[in-house]
Amino acid sequence: MLRRRHRFAPFDSRGRFTIAAILITFAGFSAISVFLSIRTTRHSQHRAAVLQVAARQRAIAERYVNEVLLVSSGATADPAATASLLTASADALLDGGEAPSLPGDDDEADLPAQQGKVIRAQLKQERRLAHDLGATGQAILEKKPTLAVPLTAGEDIAARDPVVRLRVLAGLTANTSLNAARTIAIENDRGINHLITTQVLLGVGGLFTSLLLAFGLIAATRRQTAHFRSLVTASTDLVLVFGRGGCRYASRAVLEMVDRPEPDLLGDGLARFVHPDDLGMLRATSEHGEPAEIVFRMRNRHGEWRQLDAHVTDLRGNRRLRGVVLNARDVTERMRLEQELTRQAFHDGLTGLANRALFRDRLDQALARSLRTKEPLAVLLLDLDGFKQVNDTLGHDAGDKLLRAVAERFDGVVRPSDTLARLGGDEFALLIDPATESEAEDVARRLNEAVGEPLVLAGRELSVGASIGIVAHPGGHADGDDLIRHADIAMYAAKDAGRGHHQVFRYDMALEFGELLALEGELRAAVENGELCLHYQPEIDVESGKVVGVEALLRWESESRGNVSPGEFIPIAEATGLILPLGDFVLREACAQTARWLREGLIEDRFVTWVNISAKQLAAGRVGTAVDQALEATGLAPKFLGLEVTETAIVPDGSAGERAREELQMLHDRGVHVAIDDFGTGFSSLSQLRHFPIDMIKVDRSFVKGVEHDAKDAAITANIVTLAHALGLVAIAEGIESDGQLASIRELGCDLAQGFLFARPRPPEEVSLVLAQGTCSPDDERDPATA
Amino acid sequence: MLLAVLVLVVAGCSSSGGKSHGAVTVAPIVEKDFKISARSYELRAGQVDLSVKNDGPDAHELIVVRENGSGLPMRADGLTVNEDAVEKRTLGALEPGQPGGTRELNVRLAPGRYVLLCNMTGHYLGGMHTELVVS
Repeated sequence: MLRRRHRFAPFDSRGRFTIAAILITFAGFSAISVFLSIRTTRHSQHRAAVLQVAARQRAIAERYVNEVLLVSSGATADPAATASLLTASADALLDGGEAPSLPGDDDEADLPAQQGKVIRAQLKQERRLAHDLGATGQAILEKKPTLAVPLTAGEDIAARDPVVRLRVLAGLTANTSLNAARTIAIENDRGINHLITTQVLLGVGGLFTSLLLAFGLIAATRRQTAHFRSLVTASTDLVLVFGRGGCRYASRAVLEMVDRPEPDLLGDGLARFVHPDDLGMLRATSEHGEPAEIVFRMRNRHGEWRQLDAHVTDLRGNRRLRGVVLNARDVTERMRLEQELTRQAFHDGLTGLANRALFRDRLDQALARSLRTKEPLAVLLLDLDGFKQVNDTLGHDAGDKLLRAVAERFDGVVRPSDTLARLGGDEFALLIDPATESEAEDVARRLNEAVGEPLVLAGRELSVGASIGIVAHPGGHADGDDLIRHADIAMYAAKDAGRGHHQVFRYDMALEFGELLALEGELRAAVENGELCLHYQPEIDVESGKVVGVEALLRWESESRGNVSPGEFIPIAEATGLILPLGDFVLREACAQTARWLREGLIEDRFVTWVNISAKQLAAGRVGTAVDQALEATGLAPKFLGLEVTETAIVPDGSAGERAREELQMLHDRGVHVAIDDFGTGFSSLSQLRHFPIDMIKVDRSFVKGVEHDAKDAAITANIVTLAHALGLVAIAEGIESDGQLASIRELGCDLAQGFLFARPRPPEEVSLVLAQGTCSPDDERDPATA
Repeated sequence: MLLAVLVLVVAGCSSSGGKSHGAVTVAPIVEKDFKISARSYELRAGQVDLSVKNDGPDAHELIVVRENGSGLPMRADGLTVNEDAVEKRTLGALEPGQPGGTRELNVRLAPGRYVLLCNMTGHYLGGMHTELVVS
C-alpha cells in the first residue's frame, strides 16, 4: 500500500486550525443535541396535555350516559352541554386548539394538531363515536327510536335496548379515547427513545470526529518534530547543546565524527575529545554563551585533531532549551589551505626557503629589535658562481636540482634562528641576528666550504662556489633597503675577487659600484625592451679601397641615457651573465643582415661580417651552438661570418682555454673565420699562435694611434704585420682616423684598415649605401651627405 | 343480555379454507372497527395459524372460544364477555394490538364451531365477533 506523501514542512502551523476544528465540532454537536432535547421536551409537554384531555374523554362519555339516564328519570342535568364538551374536546384533540375545561374541574388546555397517521385515524374514529353517542343520547331524550339513529363509526350494535346501545357507544368512545391516549404515550416514548439514540449517536460522532482531528494533530505535530529532527540530525553541522551539567545534546554529525554513542559525550564526557589547550575556552564559552565565534579542536575517530569553527548561541533564557548552543563546522581543510597559501606567499617554491617578501619582513623586524637593543646583525647576499653555465649547458632541471642541493647545504650551516632566503635565480640571502662582522665572516667561510664540496648532477661532477657579500650592521638605526644594496655591492666586489670569495661591505665600494649597479638594471630592461641594435663598420682593402667586410658593433640607445657606449655596458653584461643572451642576439642579427645584403647582391663572395665574441661566451662553451643556430636560422654560409676573440679569451691554461680552442677549431674547420682582436695587448706567447685556427690579426688601436709619429708603435705594428704574414694571416689596423695613419700602415704592409677615416659604425641601411658603392674612400666620411 | 350466535361445528369436511403448509393451515383474519372478517369461515381441523391483521383505526384483541351451545356469558357490566367463565373453552387469545400490524395466533382446532371476538369495552357488542366452522 502506498502511503500518502507528506510535504516537508517543518515550519507549518496547522495545529491551531485543528484545535479550532475540534472545538467547532464539539460546539456543533452540542448545539444539535440541545436543540433536539428542547424540541423533544416541548413535544413531550404537548403530549402530556393531549394525554390528559384524551383520558378525560372517557369520564365525559360516562358522565354523558349518566346525565341522559338522570334526565330520562326526571332528574335535572345538562347532557347537551356534556355532549358538546365531548365533541369540542375531540375536535381539539384532532386538529389542535383549545380544549374546553371541565366545569369545576380543570383549566382549558391549548393543544397542538396531531400529525401521526395512526393517532389521527384513532382521533377521527373517536370523534365519530362521540357523535354517534350524542345522537343516540338525543334520541333517548326525545323519546325517539334509537335504532333509527344512523351510526358513522362502523359499529354494528345488535342490542335493541336504547340504554344498552347508549352504554355500548359510550364504552366504544371511552375505549377509543384511551387507545388514542396510549398511542400518544407510545409516540412520546418513541420520541424520547429517538432522542436518547440521537444523543448517544451525536456524542459518539462528536467524540469520534474530535479524536480523528486530535490524532491528525498529533500525527502532524510528530511529523513536524520529525522534520525538525531530521533537519538537525541530517545536517553535517556539528550541533552541541550545553547546560548546567555540561554537554546535554550532541547531534548525529558529532557522534559520527568521534564514532561514539551519545551517552559517552554527555555531561563531561565531551571533554575527553576536546584538545586540552582548548578545553578551558570551550567550558567558559558553554557557561557564559560568549564569544559568538570560537575555534576549538576535537579528536575524530581516527585520532586526528580537527579544527571546528563554532557559532555560539546563548539560549539559556529560552524556556524550552535552557542552554548554550554551538553550531560548529569542520574547517580543518580550509585552515590547512590557508596555512599552505600563507606558506606559499612567503616561501620559495623550489627550495622551500623563505622568499624575498619574508626575508624583508624578518629583516625589518630584526632592525626594529636592533634599534632597541643596539645589538649588531649581519646580512649576507650569496650568488652562485657558474650557475648560469650549469643552467645553459645541463638544462633548467639540472639548474633547479643544483639550487635545491645548494639550498640544503646552506641550510645545514645556518642556525635555526637565522633567516635563509632565496631571492630569485641563483641569489640567496641570509640574515644573522645577532651577529658581529667576524661572526658573519665565519658563517660566509662555512657557507663556501659547504657549497664547494663537489656534487654530482646529471652524471657530471660539478664544483660550484658562491660569491658572498656581507653587510655588518653595528646596531641602532638602519634601513633594510640600504643594507641589501650594500650587501649587493659587497657581493659584486667578491665576484670580482674570483669564485668562492666573500667581501664585507665598505663605503668606498658604494662609490665604485653605484653607477654599475644602476646600469645593470637598465641593461636588463633594455634587452627586454629591444633597445639594443647593431651598427656596422666597414673594413677596407688598403690597396684597392674596396669594402671587404664589416665589424658588427652592439649599440644601446637608452631612452633615459641616450647612446650608451659598449665600453660602459659590456663589462656589466659580462659581470652579470647578460653577455650570453646579448652574444646570441648579436650573432643572429649579424648573420641575418649579412644574408640580406647577400640577397640584395651588395656583397661579394669574400665578404666577411665580423662579430666580437667575449671571453665569457667562450668560457660558457656555447659559441659553437650559438653560431650554428644563427647560421641555420638565416641560411648564411659559414664563410661570410668571422669571429673576433681576444688573446685573453683563448690563451688561458686549463680546461676553459682548451675548450675555447677546440670550439674555435671546429668552427674554423667548417669555414667560419677567426680573428685575434686587440692583438699585442694580451702578452700571449707568440709561439702558441701557430696552434690557433686564425685567419686574421687585428692590430690594437693603441698602436695604430701612434704609428704615424711614434717609432715604437710603428715598430710594434710592423712586427705584428710581419708576424701575421709569416703565419699566413691577414693583418688589419683598426682605429684609422687620419690620412697619415693610413699612409703609415700602408707602408708597413698592413692588408686591411678600419676606422673613422673611412666610415664610422653605422646602422645597416646606411652601410647598404656604402656597399652598393663597393669602395669606401676617405672623402666619403668627410662629407657623408654627398655620398 | 344479548348473546352472540354461537355455532358449533362438527369436525368438518370443508377444504376451502386457508392455505395449508404441510400440517398447518394458515387462516387470514382481518379486524377492523368494528368487525372481524375471515377469508374463509370454514376450516379443516388441525393446527391452524391465524394470521390476524388489524386494519384499525382502534386497537383490537382476538379471542378464540369454542361454542358449546350455551352462548357467551357477559360480565356484570353488561358490556364485556366474562372471559373467566369461558376460560376452559378458550383456545387462544391475542392482546390488544395497534393498527397496521399482523400477528399470528397458533391454535389446534378440533372439528366444531368457534367464535372469534374482540373483548375490549363495547367492541363485542359493537359487532366485533364472527364464527368459524371447523370440520
